[in-house]
Amino acid sequence: MEPNEAGPSREERISRMEAEGVLSPAQAEMLRQSLSVASGPQASSDERGPSTGRMAVAKWVLYLALVLLAVLSVGLLEGGGGGIQEVSQTINQPGVTGEMNKSLSNLLAIMLILAVPVAIWAWLHNSLVSREEAVFASWAQVESSYQRRSDLIPSLVETVSRYLRHEAATLAQVTRERGAGERDLAAAVEELIKAQKASTDLLRQGGKMLDDPEALAAIGRAELQVGGQMQRMFALAESYPELKSADQFLTLQGQLEGTENRINVARMRFDEAVEAYNQSIRKLPGSLVAGVGRFSRKAYFQADEEAENAPKLDFH
Amino acid sequence: MRRSSIFTKALLAALLLVAVKFAVDGSRDRRTQPAPDRVVDEAGLMTPGQAARLSEYHRFLLKDHDIDYRVLTTNSAGEVNAYSIEKFEELGVGGESRTGRGLLLVIDVKQDAVRLEVGRALEGMFTDAFITYVQHRQMVPFFRDGRVADGILATTELIYTEAQKAEKNAGFDPREQDAVTAGGGAATRARIGEGNGTGELVKGGVAAGGSPEATVMAYLGAMAERNANPDLDLFTEGTRKMLAGWTVTPAQMDNIVQTYRACHAEPVKVGGAGKLAVVRYPPAERQCSPWFLREEKGGWRLDLTMMQKAVRFGRTNAWHFDLQVEHPYRFAFEDWRFDRHGFPVVKDSALAAK
Repeated sequence: MEPNEAGPSREERISRMEAEGVLSPAQAEMLRQSLSVASGPQASSDERGPSTGRMAVAKWVLYLALVLLAVLSVGLLEGGGGGIQEVSQTINQPGVTGEMNKSLSNLLAIMLILAVPVAIWAWLHNSLVSREEAVFASWAQVESSYQRRSDLIPSLVETVSRYLRHEAATLAQVTRERGAGERDLAAAVEELIKAQKASTDLLRQGGKMLDDPEALAAIGRAELQVGGQMQRMFALAESYPELKSADQFLTLQGQLEGTENRINVARMRFDEAVEAYNQSIRKLPGSLVAGVGRFSRKAYFQADEEAENAPKLDFH
Repeated sequence: MRRSSIFTKALLAALLLVAVKFAVDGSRDRRTQPAPDRVVDEAGLMTPGQAARLSEYHRFLLKDHDIDYRVLTTNSAGEVNAYSIEKFEELGVGGESRTGRGLLLVIDVKQDAVRLEVGRALEGMFTDAFITYVQHRQMVPFFRDGRVADGILATTELIYTEAQKAEKNAGFDPREQDAVTAGGGAATRARIGEGNGTGELVKGGVAAGGSPEATVMAYLGAMAERNANPDLDLFTEGTRKMLAGWTVTPAQMDNIVQTYRACHAEPVKVGGAGKLAVVRYPPAERQCSPWFLREEKGGWRLDLTMMQKAVRFGRTNAWHFDLQVEHPYRFAFEDWRFDRHGFPVVKDSALAAK
């Protein structure tokens, strides 16, 4: 047996199932629409929109300070006079502090006074940017895990639907009726496709959702729905030893349960990254920089009630 | 001025001394740091000898394929998925590997759960599907029969074989990576001591063949159907007795079929007054061990008992004879030469065959 799947593309798979009558045209279309969960471009620290104006002001203030510093330093070096420099007066005399040394001292003092706060400000700003990028990166992991599950669902749908078709043909010869169990399993397939499509639609909103706790909570609920439907399907499959013991179904179930675990890990790490970021923009002195750079608070993924309702993996 | 200069020099000297001390301590720590325990049996599922054997196998896995594989048995881990990730990080699994390749097997007796956690650097090679297959088709049947150490070892063998394939097909990512996990791997019920490990695989009988080749083909056919029936007609009586207490797993049968698919049998050697036969393969096909057959009750039957005694496999799955074991099938190898470990010498044997 070959546990590593290298089959047809998802689109080909769905088209084939549709052509063979394994899926209805409506189911096929819904499954097709649910394929890509990739969201739009993520918001990043360079695309913060409203903050750009303030950032620009801050940058101009910095430039002006530097220009002022340069002008001042030229003036000081020139000794405040004009015309031809009198070297005899400005060169160092033994035991006497020269004019040039005084100018340099003043210049260095001013540079230090200005440079230290600027350096601290830049360091704080960069560390906030890094933490915000860590939030985006961990969100990308969450999305990637959802995509992984989304990629696997057509295979699960195909395996179960083909089995049901085979069962229906066998039963039809005997009783010409489908059993209640088969109907439940078929309904679970239908519900899973619907749940997957709903979650994909929400995920397509893009990175803006990270600032919106309601949007993130809605995604959490939709994803729980997908996980729940999947677990329901696995529970129903318990009644079909032939389906359950097949290597293909077994490894598919293993992959999907593995993906659920990856989703949990990715969500946990996302929440950790958000917590670190939110703390840094609320605590001093980061909050001062965060105000100018418009670093906004990010939403946590998992509400308590969602965690309680999360589908529990029932080991097969 | 002079006082300040002396002070500066003293400060620099002190800083230098501190830096040197840290550097020396650091290098000493690295030199004296002991290797971590590769097998931690908190639940007491293994004898010290079994744990040592596993550790030895894991040492080779690290040496040959740069995989840092640890085993942890426990009695109360709680939720096994979360516990595995926590332990993976806490034990620094993968830290022994230059390329961050880490594997952690957690067996929780109380929760009746087993999880093989796969580090990110190995995810491409050991997919969730493969780990699920290994757990269900190799590990759990042994666990069901109460043979935990054997189940772990048999699993390690499959992992080793997969790593070998990956090395051969450039399937490993050679870059250095962080030893972290993203939750890859699989978990399942351990079913320790539940019994009937092979039971579901016992199917109908398969008749002995009229020729040695036909019997070998029939046996491989039974393996392809995952028929672990120890009472097949194509076994000798001694073989049937031996197999009665064995755990035979689907993965073992799959492995036999896959291995022999690539083997090219030589003409059958018959000896022992026409009652014994050997189906052998060119010595260059190192994983294709020979079959011993005996004519009993009018048919050619597999003598797995003698094969079990005389033929051994190294960790690369290359076969060799145990030179201490005398067996009546030596007549079939008189034209081959063997090295001091019992491995057939490829060049000499190939020339002799011509």
